[in-house]
Amino acid sequence: MRNATKKIAGIALALTMGFGLLSGCAGGNNGTNGASGTNDGGVQSTEGSETTTPAPASPITLKWLGYDSYGQPNPDSYVVKTVEEKFNANFDFWYVDSQKWEDNLNVRLAAGEMPDVLKITNRQNLPKYINQGILAPIPMETLEAHAPTYVKFLNDNYPEVWDGVKYQGEIYAIPMTNLNGSYPTVVIWRQDWLDKVGITKIPETIEEYEEALTKFRNEDPDGDGQKDTYGLSDFALPNILGAFGYPGITDFKGAGKGDASKSIQFTMKDDNVVITAIQPEMKEALSLLQRWYKAGLIDPEFITSENTTGYWADSQAFYNSKIGITGMSMFYHWRNQMNPDIVDDQGGGQYKAFKESVPEGEASFGVPAVGPKGASGTPMWDTASHPIAITTEAMKDPAKLELLLKMIEAAVTDYEYYLTLTNGEKGVDWKMEDDKFVNLSASDSLAEANVKGKNVLNAKVSYDPFIKQRDAFDYKFADENAKTSGYNAVYVPNLETFSKHSNTLNKLTVEAYFKIITGEESVDYFDEYVATFRANGGDALEQEANEAYKAMVGK
Amino acid sequence: MKSNASVSDRIFVILVYVILGGLSITTLLPMMQAVTISLSPPEVVNSYGFHLIPFEFDFTGYERVMQYGALWTAYGNTIVRTLLGTLITLIMTFLGAYPLSKRSLPNRKLWTGVIVLTMFFSGGLIPSYLLIKGLGIMNTMWSLVLPGAVSAFMLLIVRNFIIGLPESLEESAKIDGANDIVILFRIVLPLSLPIIATVGLYSGVGHWNAWFDSMIYIQDEKKQVLQMILRKILLEGQDVSVEAGAGSTAQAVNSETVKMAALVVSVLPILLVYPFLQKYFVKGTLMGSVKG
Repeated sequence: MRNATKKIAGIALALTMGFGLLSGCAGGNNGTNGASGTNDGGVQSTEGSETTTPAPASPITLKWLGYDSYGQPNPDSYVVKTVEEKFNANFDFWYVDSQKWEDNLNVRLAAGEMPDVLKITNRQNLPKYINQGILAPIPMETLEAHAPTYVKFLNDNYPEVWDGVKYQGEIYAIPMTNLNGSYPTVVIWRQDWLDKVGITKIPETIEEYEEALTKFRNEDPDGDGQKDTYGLSDFALPNILGAFGYPGITDFKGAGKGDASKSIQFTMKDDNVVITAIQPEMKEALSLLQRWYKAGLIDPEFITSENTTGYWADSQAFYNSKIGITGMSMFYHWRNQMNPDIVDDQGGGQYKAFKESVPEGEASFGVPAVGPKGASGTPMWDTASHPIAITTEAMKDPAKLELLLKMIEAAVTDYEYYLTLTNGEKGVDWKMEDDKFVNLSASDSLAEANVKGKNVLNAKVSYDPFIKQRDAFDYKFADENAKTSGYNAVYVPNLETFSKHSNTLNKLTVEAYFKIITGEESVDYFDEYVATFRANGGDALEQEANEAYKAMVGK
Repeated sequence: MKSNASVSDRIFVILVYVILGGLSITTLLPMMQAVTISLSPPEVVNSYGFHLIPFEFDFTGYERVMQYGALWTAYGNTIVRTLLGTLITLIMTFLGAYPLSKRSLPNRKLWTGVIVLTMFFSGGLIPSYLLIKGLGIMNTMWSLVLPGAVSAFMLLIVRNFIIGLPESLEESAKIDGANDIVILFRIVLPLSLPIIATVGLYSGVGHWNAWFDSMIYIQDEKKQVLQMILRKILLEGQDVSVEAGAGSTAQAVNSETVKMAALVVSVLPILLVYPFLQKYFVKGTLMGSVKG
């Protein structure tokens, strides 16, 4: 009896399992609808494409990924509610971890989901998104109709940013700008060392630089009786390269880590686009650096960078009195004048760290070295920031594009509204004291700011007049101290040749530059390097870049 | 007389101790450095040299970490996930291994073969994503706990272990009138505590350290696990490209002190649990690997 029951039970169980398996197969996995995983807490999500009229009747829902997502915005925050009321809209926030942006976003796009408003982190992805059917062209007339002030602002100040959002002549995204891109990276000297060795004028020419750095090396400026000081390390190298022409490597640490964008850049020469690393003037620059290295002016540990830990702009070598000049960061990192309106202002973050390590030290701003032919400059950051695109799914409802443009227009016409978008609730996160902006929540990290709704709904609009009004002290300081010469790369549209060859070319460049500077190879090795570079795709890349640029610009 | 050990034996022992000592130091040093940095002020952190023992104390790192709400929510998520995940894994692995250990199971070789096959093949990332999405468990705790609940490798180890238990025990229980379920719970389970501890520990540590599945399947920041938040904190401000491209001025980035404090706070629980489970761990792995 027992055995029979067992058998029946066993067969029944097996059949159930079997049916379970089969039903799973028949169910059909349609992973298209974005409704399952992406809804945030208490936000109503209407089917976007079914909204009837843009009139106050029903709010328009926008699936929003048009921000730097360091943290997930709280839909009930003051900022979000204010914007929703102002425009009769509803926001459904997508959150993609900013550190693994591309991987995470690509998985979701591959599964068929797409937001309405999308930030394009890497302009090189534009053609890819267009081919995947995610982006649709935006007519210039629509932009001018709904966001005239913003378009005028772009045309007057940053006409070059339109290039980055065009593909085959059509505009696919709304360009965003970066005010800090118009200030070159800084040159910072150890002022107390300059005083100690008797140099009264901030060095300007390359000869004055050499004099100062030689004295730093040999005359014991830190007064500890040991020859443990050097002149410069890797942060200041692009400055020296810039005295001869466009720096072949703009970020030695980044290039060394394998980031090809830090060494394979383009510039214009006689109306043609050329690759900067292989230009003949770099040979002269490298021979000078080789001589300096032999004389001990360059810290031998420059290979592992003067930044050994922590935030990328920290220069441990500079803080520990090992070198006398640094660079690579922006004016706001090293601001050494205190803002009288901020309580306990200690200046820029890096200046503060420096003063904590060396309380009696002093850091001052310098100018990039001027070379024998009059060239000078430090690398500059891009003036173009991440463009904001509206996806094909959103384009089905023209009211959505209009809403986005209206939001952008409002951000550039209403100062207090702009402040709310970027800095939070008036009275809580910031306040106005006699027309001066006072930040009450300056210690919020980027993630916490996003949670409060800050820097989320301004669609990355960075409006110079408002920024200069808000941070008046900082930009006044910048205009006085940091408007030095700089080099800005030419924007070349995405090329397959670039993705194919950039890693090899970067490795070649890093090896060659490091070997020549340390003296492992003679200066003439540069010619060998150029030949190898050209043979390994460098020539093809240069030619294609030139053609693509001319086609884009329309020559 | 101790001269039982010959000279070469003594040298061997000394050599072993030296190597072990070296390994221990190599393992301990980074931890000491992390703890020290978490307690040191910025100027000490920026100075050159090893930071192994804190001389100046600065508790702002820990203060900041205590206030960091996201970290504690994530902590809760990880604890729930580890407990739930380990429980499910233990139950399912055991219920799977027990029948496979019985020689009287029909088509035993086939079942074992099918399970072993899964050890070699995997669908990949996108199919897994589509599967989880299709099941509707996206953005929930189940997407972290269910996939990979039973590791084929662990299943086989448990199966081997149960095979290693003397058959006579089960036979005598059967004579006394017990059925399979009773045998499982009353006899096999209590004897298998070492292997349970092993599987539990492997699974628990695996869940505690897991971050990749959380990164893909969880969209809500409130549901993220500890490792993701920790990773985010630690990677802040490492790469200039983020600031250069995003067009924002430097905001308050967590200092090294805060980062290390977050690290220490995240690692502490597992560090404390290990010593207690260690003896089962060693015994269990050994027993699981010995055949019948």
